Amino acid sequence: MSTRITSSMMTRSLLSDINDVANRQDATRRQMSSGKQITKPSDDPYATARAMSLRTDLAGIKQHERNVQEAQSWMTVTDTTLSSITDLAQHARELVVQGATDTLPQTSRNAIADQIDQIVAGMKQEANSTYDGRYVLAGSRTNTKPYDATVQTTSAGTTPDDTYLGDAASQLREIGPGVTLSVNARGDEVLGGSPGASGNMLGVLRDIATHLRAGDTQSLGNDDIKALDGQIDNVLAIHARIGAGMNRLETASSRLAQIEESATSMLSNTEDADMAKVLTDYSTQQAVYQSALQAGARIVQTSLLDFLR
Amino acid sequence: MSISTFNGIQTSLRGLLAQQRSLDVTSHNIANASTVGYTRQSAELVASPAMLVPTSGGANAGNLGTGVDVQTYKRVRDQFLDLQYRAQNMSLGEQTARSGALQDVELSFAEPGDTGIANALDKFWSAWGDLSNSADSGPARQAVIDQARTLTGQINDLQKNLAAARQRAADEYTQTAGAGGEINQMATDLTATLNAIRSAEKTGAQPNDLYDRRDLLLDKLSEMGQVSVTPSAAGNVDVSLGGVLIVDSDDTTGAASVPAGAFPLSYTTSPGGRLGALLDLQSSTGPIASYQTDLASFAQALASSVNGIYSATGTTFFTFGTGASDLPEIALNEPAINVATLSGGIGGPSDNSIALGVTALAGGAADSGYRQLVTRMGNEVAQANRQQATAQTLTDNLSGRRDSVSGVSLDEEMTNIIRFQRAYQASARAMSTTDEMLDTLINRAGRVGL
Repeated sequence: MSTRITSSMMTRSLLSDINDVANRQDATRRQMSSGKQITKPSDDPYATARAMSLRTDLAGIKQHERNVQEAQSWMTVTDTTLSSITDLAQHARELVVQGATDTLPQTSRNAIADQIDQIVAGMKQEANSTYDGRYVLAGSRTNTKPYDATVQTTSAGTTPDDTYLGDAASQLREIGPGVTLSVNARGDEVLGGSPGASGNMLGVLRDIATHLRAGDTQSLGNDDIKALDGQIDNVLAIHARIGAGMNRLETASSRLAQIEESATSMLSNTEDADMAKVLTDYSTQQAVYQSALQAGARIVQTSLLDFLR
Repeated sequence: MSISTFNGIQTSLRGLLAQQRSLDVTSHNIANASTVGYTRQSAELVASPAMLVPTSGGANAGNLGTGVDVQTYKRVRDQFLDLQYRAQNMSLGEQTARSGALQDVELSFAEPGDTGIANALDKFWSAWGDLSNSADSGPARQAVIDQARTLTGQINDLQKNLAAARQRAADEYTQTAGAGGEINQMATDLTATLNAIRSAEKTGAQPNDLYDRRDLLLDKLSEMGQVSVTPSAAGNVDVSLGGVLIVDSDDTTGAASVPAGAFPLSYTTSPGGRLGALLDLQSSTGPIASYQTDLASFAQALASSVNGIYSATGTTFFTFGTGASDLPEIALNEPAINVATLSGGIGGPSDNSIALGVTALAGGAADSGYRQLVTRMGNEVAQANRQQATAQTLTDNLSGRRDSVSGVSLDEEMTNIIRFQRAYQASARAMSTTDEMLDTLINRAGRVGL
């Protein structure tokens, strides 16, 4: 026996069908206007989790990119500083060679000694260079000048104070998940810090100035020049370390750009709507919706009443 | 026994009356074609008792028909479909309430996007990253503090929203199941209807339209919970909702009444339907409460992991505990933490060891805890939506089957109109034929020679 179809059944099923189509169309319209295929977690819980995780990754990558840029700027300042200090040291070496000549009159040696004092002051000036208001050679005490220009007064007279005022801390930057890089060179390792101590750049240069004034060409020609060469090598070694760090930053930067691109495209694949497909779906649904409405208008109108007189 | 001369007129009259009654029923059906809960009726016609008449067959007397009678006005309804429909409607009520409430909850998460907690968490970690680049910078410290405030604010707001969602379910339950509430109203209506049916039945009547009213009320009740209707001793019925009696019929008089103290309804086991869903949504073991628990453990994990690093400075960064509204609350440890005291490290002004430590927590256990919560919630909402759609389809299907049996088909009624009209016309014709016959007999017979 075929089912008995009543008027209320027809209107009910028609309404529920039209409602169904309208609902699907609404979902498609939401995708169209938001450009996203997931607008709430229940649309696709696992894709939502993936999208959230990718967003976190992306935020991390962007942060690491910022860290790398920051580290690059810091290291560039350090690089320039070390170059200047090397240049100054080379100049000092030429002066020492000149001063070690026995035939040179003492007045000229005194003049060279004054120049060496100026070089020491210049080096300290360089070591006080800043990036973004922070003293780059001061360890973590970046708000303190690593070397003070003030003069120390003792019973023996006045001598400039060569004390290193920073600390021994490394400046670490995170350039990848769990990967840190030390970006700083410290004043005490480049120029030294304890006043009067030999075995560091400032001490060696102070000794040289003393020997020049005393006319001690013996020391100047042998120990002093060797000690100065040793200090120049030390600065060059630190400079090389900074250079290697800058290379690492370069590599990290391009790697971060790559993974940012791939994470962005994965996020887009997970989250973004395929517009071509959405638009096609929408026009199909619209056609279905219209025909459902039209069919409805015809079915509901017609009954036996139309044919009886 | 001989037969009355006027027997044919009487037979035709019965036919006329019966067809007229049938037409009346058809009109009633058409008038109620769109009445909710209406069951189509039909006049059941049977041949009226026959007369014994002598025939040439001798002892075997013949039966002469005397026309037609309306035996009963039948209500065309399948009680079994009613039971199926109510069971399904109960499930629909439950799933609709559940998926509606969970959709609200889902919206308050605002994921995935730029306004949710996940985004605030990403920004919080980034602020620490920036602080690690310039630990002595005031703006970087301010950013960490601002992002921490935003993040804790969002977590606490979500916690409040979830509590509010549970409260809404509890309020709705009170309004629906409380004394004087919607269900109480329906129970009162139902007692009145049952009593009216009972007094009509006492007079031998069959109050079809009252039956419709009773069934419609039971349909509506079934959305709220498990309805069961059991016959009582004096011939009336008892109605219970989710196992609690809401209409009680007296065992001797049969008078139905709402038992005193039945409202507000309270249940120890789930009554099913909308009430069951509302009880589950508000319950401390329900889905929303479990989101609250997970959110609280996420907040606690976040607070303790950050504090684990930050406590090297001798103070904690976050506080976690029960807030003013009795809800778990995470907050920045203010005023101990401020722009002046916030440190990225414990050494010189640019020491960033703590900032680096906190940054390393990004994307860790706290993040994945929150992500799991969102995934679980998304799954449960999706599942509730699917179940709601299924229940809707099944209920629609059963409604259709009930309509197929009990609904008014205008085509059918129009056909019936023609049928009854023709039968009426034919009966009238039969009557006039008998009349003509009598005319011959009375006016023309025996007038020979006049």
